[in-house]
Amino acid sequence: MYIKDLYAISPQKTHDLSFEQGDWQVLNQYAYTAIEPSYQDLIPNAQLRRMGKAVRMGIGVSLPLLARNPKPDGIIFGTANGGLEDCIKFLNQIVEYNEGTLTPTNFVQSTPNALAGQVALLSENQGYNMTHVNGSLAFESALLDAALYFDEHSPTEKSILLGAVEEISDYNYNIDYLGNRFKEELVPNNDLLNSRTNGSYCGEGSTQFILSNNPENSLARFSALKQSSTLSEEEITDFVQSFLAEQNLSPAGIDCLLLGKNGDVSTDLWYDKVQNSFPGTPVAFFKKAVGEYRTVSAFASYLAVRLLNRQAGYLIENGATENPRTILIYNHFDAVRHSLILIQK
Amino acid sequence: MTTNREELITEFKEHLIKYLNLLDLTPSDIKNDEVLFGGELGLDSIDSVELIVLLDREYGIRIKNPTEGRQILVDVNTITDYIIANRTK
Repeated sequence: MYIKDLYAISPQKTHDLSFEQGDWQVLNQYAYTAIEPSYQDLIPNAQLRRMGKAVRMGIGVSLPLLARNPKPDGIIFGTANGGLEDCIKFLNQIVEYNEGTLTPTNFVQSTPNALAGQVALLSENQGYNMTHVNGSLAFESALLDAALYFDEHSPTEKSILLGAVEEISDYNYNIDYLGNRFKEELVPNNDLLNSRTNGSYCGEGSTQFILSNNPENSLARFSALKQSSTLSEEEITDFVQSFLAEQNLSPAGIDCLLLGKNGDVSTDLWYDKVQNSFPGTPVAFFKKAVGEYRTVSAFASYLAVRLLNRQAGYLIENGATENPRTILIYNHFDAVRHSLILIQK
Repeated sequence: MTTNREELITEFKEHLIKYLNLLDLTPSDIKNDEVLFGGELGLDSIDSVELIVLLDREYGIRIKNPTEGRQILVDVNTITDYIIANRTK
């Protein structure tokens, strides 16, 4: 699957591409909230005022991409929680008003597929429309769906809008905090990986790609994907090595590793094990930029494409790479859901 | 419960802003005789349902007849008059 275009709203200044040029945001807060652009010229006011943050960010990424790449054949999103804030408001109203009259706005915004539906309505797209809600592997599931779509329609040229969105809501923050996923103390994101304490910091954002099965004018390609929810710590290295073997690659063939290390001392050792099996390979840690959330691998993919096109190179540690051609992303959530994504130029 | 008409108008406008997410407006921005639908406020059919929910929750008024609704949901004045005459809470 070839990547023709991409765009993101994130806790870094990706919306105006200054992140790619070296404008790094130092974050010293418990929630890494997204830096949003002005939507006034993009979204009609009557619709904007009804949108929750997830839908707003998602539309804010989709519309510029669709303006440059109109009428894709399908829209595929991955999200763990969608517009959770509106969803919980709606559920609370059911209880508060004793299952009486309910407001339509919270209802239409409260389902995870509200974003994909709104994008289709706004862009008058009647093609394939799917939202995957497989928790912390939601983006990977959306990616797999896109691959299946292209396989099914090959050799006809097709294009897909593929993306992910997640918002920080009071509800998911509090629940995840009680699950020990977030730190009690504040550490700036520059020092996140040296914090040596439990938990990380919550992030959010929307990342989207225009995919095609035509390689012409592509920025990079999604070459392979593997996921697992059953790995033990002893198996992670073999999991990575067997993935590389399936792609006829060795560790030396990886120009740069993108690791989802998030400063949680209890689960970062999985990343250390993987990194140790790539001695001397340059590495970048994407959660320093955007925090931890369940579809953050979409942002990692975004960063990989940027690195492959010689942008955001200042994020690479452990040695520079002049002209990267092959990037491997390893991410896990809670050391339970693991994914590998291979992106190549 | 507000019984003074002017106070009721202000209270209703505050509810209107909250229920319809008109967060860039203040009560004084909305004129009492300004047409709610088809005018500068740009309200639409979803907003009309939000208004019906507002009247039910805040004033105990249930509008079930669409024809009746069209005569009530004209501007702030018509709605306020209807609230004064029909409120149950």
